[in-house]
Amino acid sequence: MKISEGDVEYVAKLAMLEVADGEKKELAEQLSRIVEYVEKLNELDVRGIEPTSQVVTSVKHAVRDDRVAPRTGSSDAARTVKLFKVPKVITER
Amino acid sequence: MNLRNITADKLVALYQNRDLTASEVITSVYDDIERTDKEVHAFLSNCRERALEEARRMDTRIAAGEPLEPLAGVPVAIKDNMTIRDMTTTCGSRILENYVPPYTATAVERLRGAGAIVVGKTNCDEFAMGSSTENSGFFVTRNPHNLDRVPGGSSGGSAASVASGTSLIALGSDTGGSIRTPAAFCGVVGIKPTYGRVSRYGLVAFASSLDQIGPIAKSVRECAQALEVISGFDHFDSTSADTAVPEFVKNLDQPIKGIRIGIPKEYFVAGLDAEVRTKIEAGMRIYEDLGCELHEISLPHTEYAIATYYLIATAEASSNLARYDGVRYGLREAADSSLQEMYRRTRHHGFGQEVKRRILLGTYALSAGYYDAYYLKALKVRTLILRDFQKAFEQVDIILAPTSPTVAFKIGEKTGDPLSMYLSDIFTITQPLAGIPAISVPCGKNSENLPIGLQLMANHFQEGLLLGVAHHFEKAGGFVV
Repeated sequence: MKISEGDVEYVAKLAMLEVADGEKKELAEQLSRIVEYVEKLNELDVRGIEPTSQVVTSVKHAVRDDRVAPRTGSSDAARTVKLFKVPKVITER
Repeated sequence: MNLRNITADKLVALYQNRDLTASEVITSVYDDIERTDKEVHAFLSNCRERALEEARRMDTRIAAGEPLEPLAGVPVAIKDNMTIRDMTTTCGSRILENYVPPYTATAVERLRGAGAIVVGKTNCDEFAMGSSTENSGFFVTRNPHNLDRVPGGSSGGSAASVASGTSLIALGSDTGGSIRTPAAFCGVVGIKPTYGRVSRYGLVAFASSLDQIGPIAKSVRECAQALEVISGFDHFDSTSADTAVPEFVKNLDQPIKGIRIGIPKEYFVAGLDAEVRTKIEAGMRIYEDLGCELHEISLPHTEYAIATYYLIATAEASSNLARYDGVRYGLREAADSSLQEMYRRTRHHGFGQEVKRRILLGTYALSAGYYDAYYLKALKVRTLILRDFQKAFEQVDIILAPTSPTVAFKIGEKTGDPLSMYLSDIFTITQPLAGIPAISVPCGKNSENLPIGLQLMANHFQEGLLLGVAHHFEKAGGFVV
């Protein structure tokens, strides 16, 4: 599968990335080569094979006691910083 | 005093005998960093004042005759993708240039609990994405054995620091070879533990189903000691394993006679450098002399590993790195029109080329219409790769292979061609996909005096056996510090 400059633009939009016009051609070429390489997997018949998303062999599936305990982190940050300036997140349509 | 000629266990013994103070050692570490790191560039930041203060406190305890922890006063370096409270954690990325985390990674906390003194944070490929440490957003780390060569990656700063004697033990992280390749290229030992053995709390996520923290040091014994300290269940990481941690150090000398070692034929193919092959074959003979049985085995899906890995790892990365949007973590680029524009601007300025490439590839593999053809397919092939190992470990106890098909390559040699860089990971990709532990140990040098690494793999949670087998090898082969 060849990746076009249009594909790069589309995927960049999905990934919230900015891609300069000058970069598009090279990225499309590099990604095409990589995608063509990974298509090697099509040689394999994987019908009936379960996917493995994680190899976890010994996990404690337990919830811990619901007890209040001191934690570092946000409370710490709040002590040293008076205010957090956040960008405007509500925009007019 | 140079750390290149001493190991952690011997250093602690010197403290115990009052032959040396921790303050002397830490002072000389910073002298060495000042002298050698101008060329090697292993460190992104250091914490001299704090380390010297910890050394002074350690010396008071030594003088008082207090019992010492196993890593008391041992200078350690930490890859800069692990958080340390109040110390900048950049992950080698400009997007985290000013990020100071409010908490410390469990692995680092445990090292400190065992007496270790952190001397600094080491350089790495941005977000651990790379095989050479050339993708750092700050500077390139050089191989201490030859400054024109890469140290391997992505934990290149950690391996280079140990090899140049500016730390005794360094923590790295391994997603597709990032501990083992730099260990091999820099002539030191590095172990990637079983997935879940070491808590990932505080390790900045690259590919969460593959990432694992592990130690790098000059000897197997030091790696065993560090691993013993950092391993074990942590309720801050829901994937950390609730499995007992054996006494790795105590069991290092267990006899290995009769151990069955598998030689996977798929790892001895075209592309394997002739000199590397010769040294690995010499390594096999050492094991035969030690009374081990060598068996040829097959891991038939090895040739699909790189394709599988670069789909899964980039898909997970594209999701993990979505959090760097300019709202938290420091860097925020100004944008006039919208929040989305601010996100895009920030990510554009903060991420390097390789990170962007991988986010694009991962987003593509997960996008509507391609999910089944790429991502889901890769997850199924991952099952086949795991089964290869399960079958192999029914026949053998250990698998032996090269760590890398070549010695350290030249700086700049592969940066123009991302695919050729990916292909260099061929021997270190399958183990994280299968979640099994693997170690790289030095097995000699080539004609240009560049180190070669021999890789050993074991079944899940068999680090004890793995370390023992590696320890016998370094002793028998004369690869001891």
